Amino acid sequence: MAALRDGEVAALQILLKAPSKDAVRQLCQECFSSPPAALGPLAQRAGSGLAVSAEEAEQLVSALHNLTRHVVYRGLTRAEDILCLFPENFHQNLKNLLTKIILENISAWRNEAQASQISLPRLVDMDWRVDIKTSSDSIVRMAVPTCLLQLKIQEDAALCGNNPVVSALTVELSKETLDTMLEGLGRIRDQLSAVANK
Amino acid sequence: AADKIHLIPQDFFAELCEQVIQHLNHKIPGVNTAELCQRIQTSGVEINIGDLAKIANILSFLFSTAARNNLSTEELVTTLGSAVSTLPKHAVQVIRHVWTEQGKAIAVSEDARNIATVGQFVDMKWKLGVAMSSDTCRSLKYPYVTVTLTVADPSGQITDKSFEMTIPQFKNFFRQFKEMASVLETV
Repeated sequence: MAALRDGEVAALQILLKAPSKDAVRQLCQECFSSPPAALGPLAQRAGSGLAVSAEEAEQLVSALHNLTRHVVYRGLTRAEDILCLFPENFHQNLKNLLTKIILENISAWRNEAQASQISLPRLVDMDWRVDIKTSSDSIVRMAVPTCLLQLKIQEDAALCGNNPVVSALTVELSKETLDTMLEGLGRIRDQLSAVANK
Repeated sequence: AADKIHLIPQDFFAELCEQVIQHLNHKIPGVNTAELCQRIQTSGVEINIGDLAKIANILSFLFSTAARNNLSTEELVTTLGSAVSTLPKHAVQVIRHVWTEQGKAIAVSEDARNIATVGQFVDMKWKLGVAMSSDTCRSLKYPYVTVTLTVADPSGQITDKSFEMTIPQFKNFFRQFKEMASVLETV
């Protein structure tokens, strides 16, 4: 979308009825973070606070969602770029307030967008322990150092909604396999340096 | 699952037995069930990976028990007992053949590797990528590391687990491994 559509412009002006600037700020944040499917319930909550009809609340919430997502999508960072999304006759103070709120939140929103994009399962935690195997039912005495590693992996957040599934992968590594791992990781590190230097 | 054995074509069954014996001999870290299953399915046979895994386990148990008791080929076939009549003839033939050729070589070795209670790390594959754009950010330029760990679970089945890390996470990951290696040295 190049600029706000007419319906959206009208809907945003409903914010003039907001009780405070903080209320506007909060609503902007909620509208950005909410996935399209959750906008309905959000509209209901917002509507009661603003004393507007259900339909007007839905239009407002939808307009704010689109506006904030659009800014993040396009990567707009300057006030001028955001201000020119609004038409000429848009309420000045409201326009400035919205621009200010968006600028305050833009980098947190960008991080949120990056964190919630589709991806393979993500590593969320790792724990490890070094043991020495001293004996077993087949070998009476030995001193084999071994490493136990537990990785906590979270499945794709986008698929799991609010209840992400975290699975634990427990793996044993010997000195040899640990060295193989380190070699591989070292190569990634080298690649990263090479890319960073370009 | 034993009755699913008759679904597996002879050459694939032979390959499965080979892998099981090689795993018991510590020549390979595990049986690559997923890969074998895919090839069997591609050849037109409808078998699922769960059933193939169960069959691999049965064979592993059969061969390792036979090794521990030093069974000859004939004794092994006798152990199969009544199962011999339900197994397809080619399966019994393969078991007989594989055992005769390689069974004696299974050293029930006094080896620390026998004590597997958790998955054993086999291999790591990696990829360094940059996400250029997404539906939420047109210009993303977000670097990330993707890792696939190949793990042999305690029963000898090989599985892959893939996951992503951000660059700071990767740096921490690497640091932890260096720490683990240095502790392993000094212990």
